[in-house]
Amino acid sequence: MSASEPTIPAAERRWAWRPYALALPALVLLLAVIGYPLLTIVARSLSEPEWGLQNYIWFFSVPINLTVLQRTFVISTWVTLVCVVSAYPYAYLMTAVGPRVRLVLLLCVLIPFWVSGVVRTLSWVILLQDSGVINSVLRSLGLGGVRLIRTQTGVVIGMAQVLLPFMILPLYSVMKGIDLRLMRAAQSLGARPFRAFFTIYLPLSLPGVYAGAIIVFILALGFYITPALLGGPRSTMLSTLVQTQVLSLLQWGRGGAMGVVLLVTTFVLLALAAPVMRSKYREAGRH
Amino acid sequence: MRLKLGHAACVAVLLAATAALAQSKPVAGEVAEGSLKGKTLTFVSYGGIYQDGQVAALKDFVDKSGVKLLNDGPTEIAKLQAQVESGNVTWDVVDTDDLPPYVYCGKLFQKLDLTKLDVSKIPEGQVGECSVPAMNYGVVLMYNKEKYGDNPPKSWADFFDTKKFPGVRGIDGSGSPTGGLLEQAFKVAGGDPKAMTVADIDKAIDVVRKLGPDTIFWKTGAESQQLAESGEADMLMMWTGRAMTAVKNGAKYAPAWQDWLVVMDQMTIPVGVKDTDASYALLNAYLGKHAQETLAEKTSYTPINNDAQPKVDASVAAYLTNTPERQKQGYKQNFKFWVPNFAVAQEKWSALMAGN
Repeated sequence: MSASEPTIPAAERRWAWRPYALALPALVLLLAVIGYPLLTIVARSLSEPEWGLQNYIWFFSVPINLTVLQRTFVISTWVTLVCVVSAYPYAYLMTAVGPRVRLVLLLCVLIPFWVSGVVRTLSWVILLQDSGVINSVLRSLGLGGVRLIRTQTGVVIGMAQVLLPFMILPLYSVMKGIDLRLMRAAQSLGARPFRAFFTIYLPLSLPGVYAGAIIVFILALGFYITPALLGGPRSTMLSTLVQTQVLSLLQWGRGGAMGVVLLVTTFVLLALAAPVMRSKYREAGRH
Repeated sequence: MRLKLGHAACVAVLLAATAALAQSKPVAGEVAEGSLKGKTLTFVSYGGIYQDGQVAALKDFVDKSGVKLLNDGPTEIAKLQAQVESGNVTWDVVDTDDLPPYVYCGKLFQKLDLTKLDVSKIPEGQVGECSVPAMNYGVVLMYNKEKYGDNPPKSWADFFDTKKFPGVRGIDGSGSPTGGLLEQAFKVAGGDPKAMTVADIDKAIDVVRKLGPDTIFWKTGAESQQLAESGEADMLMMWTGRAMTAVKNGAKYAPAWQDWLVVMDQMTIPVGVKDTDASYALLNAYLGKHAQETLAEKTSYTPINNDAQPKVDASVAAYLTNTPERQKQGYKQNFKFWVPNFAVAQEKWSALMAGN
C-alpha cells in the first residue's frame, strides 16, 4: 500500500507545519477552556472529599442516578430521531428550490438561533400547557385535551425545536453536493423513484445525517433549561442532578463524577456506533 | 523634651482612640461621612427587582460614605466556596437563602461581631451567628377562588388532602427543600415536627409524593406566577411577592394565611473579605429604618426594621407579613433540625424532584 502512495516533494514537506500553526489559536483555546477544566473535573471527582473512587461508588449505588442517566440517553435518542425525520425533507427542499425561497427557508432555520433558548422554551410552555393554545384549540374542536406539558413528549418536542438547526445545516451542506442527475440516471435505467431514493440518494446523504445526529445527540445530553421548564420530575435529566450536587450541596466531587460518567458513556456509545457509520460511509463512497 | 513629646503623642492617640470607640457604637442606618472614600464594595444578591430595591435602599449609604458599590449575582454558594478556597474573595456582602449561613457558619461566612452592628430593631429571633435577615417574606398557600368557591382550603393539611380538595398542586421545586413545608407534611402524616428525626424526612416526603403525578414542581418564581395567572394549578405554594404580583395581574387566587411559612433572606459577610469593617458598615446601613422603608417600597417585601413604615398601596400591604395578625399565623421552621440535616434532606428532595 505505502509504496503506491505518492511521495511528497521536499519543498512541500518543509511547509507541512503550517496547518498546525494556523490551528494554534483554536488548539490553545480548546486546551485552556475545555481541556484544563475537564481535567480539573476528573481530578476533583477522584479527590474530593478524599482520594478514591467514593464518588463513582456513590453514583452507581443510588438508583435514581441510574434511572436519570438512562432517561437522559432515552430522551436524547428520541430528540435525535425527531430531528432527523423532520429535518431530512426540509433540508432536501432547500436543495430543490430556487435561491430566493432557499433564503427564506434558511432564515426560518437561523432566526430561532438568534432568540434565547429560555424564551423559546417559555413559548413552548404557553403552547403546550393544559390551559395553553394547543389544548384550547383541541377542546374547542371537541377533541378533549392532551397532556403535553410536564411529560416526556413535551420535553422532546421542545428540545427538538431548539436543536433542529444543528440537524438541518449539516444535512443541507451534504445534500447540496449530491448530483441530482444520478437520480435521473437511475430512473432512466428503470428504477422507480422510491428505489432510486433508497439506493442512491439516501446513502449519499448519510454523512450529513450522521454528522447532524451526533451533534444533536451530544447537545441534547447536556440540556438543562428545556427539560426543567417543559418536563416534570419524570423527565429530569442528568444535568439537573449535577446542578443540585454542585450548587446546592457543594459536592463538587459527586458532580464531577456524574459528568465523567456521562462523558464516558457517550464515548462508549459513539464507539459502538462508529463501525456502522464507517461501513455506511464506504457504501456511500462506492455508489 | 523629645521623649515627653512622644509621651504626649501616645496619650493623644490613646484618647482619640477611646473617643472613636465610644463614638463608634453603631446605629442602624448610620455611616460616617466620607468614611469609605476610595473603597469599593461588591454586593451580591439575586438580581431583578429585588436587588434593584436593595441597591436603592443602600443609596444613602453610598452617597454619604463615598464608597463605590458594585453589584454581582446571582448568589451561588458554590461560587463563594470557590472564592474562599482560592483565597481570592471578591464578594464583600452576600445575600443568601435561609439555611446556608447556618450550615456554613465560620466556614464560608464570618461569625458576626455584634458590637459592629445595631441589631436592636431587627424582629426577634432573626439574628443568626453568621447572618442578619435581609428581608422577610412568606411562603403562602394560594388557591383558585373559582375552583373551590365556598369551600376553600384553609391550611396545609387541606393542601395535602387530594380527596377533600381535588385539583392540581404546585410546589416550589426550584432546588432546595422548604423545611417548613416538610414539617407541615410530617404533621399530616401524624408526626410532631418539633420531635422530627432524620428518618421522618422520608415520611414527610412521602406525603408530598402522594400528591401524585399531576403535581407541578415549579422551577422559578416567575413560573409559579405564570401557573397562577394561567390557572394551570389549583393550589400553589408561592412566595408572597410572586403571589401579590399574580393577583395584581388578575389571577383569581386568594391566600390561606394559616401557618404561612416564615422565610427570610440572609445578609452575610464571607470569610476572607479584604475589608471586613467596610462590609460591616454596609450591613449596618442596610438595617436602618429609611433603608428598609425604601426596600419595602421598591420590592413589596417586608422590612426587617421594626420602626420602618413603608408607604405602599393596599395590594402590597395585603402581603406584608409584619402585621400582628400575620405574625401570629406564621409558622417558623425548626432551624435546629434542618441545619445539621440539610444535606440528607436535599438528597431525598432531589430524588423526589427527579421522579423517584
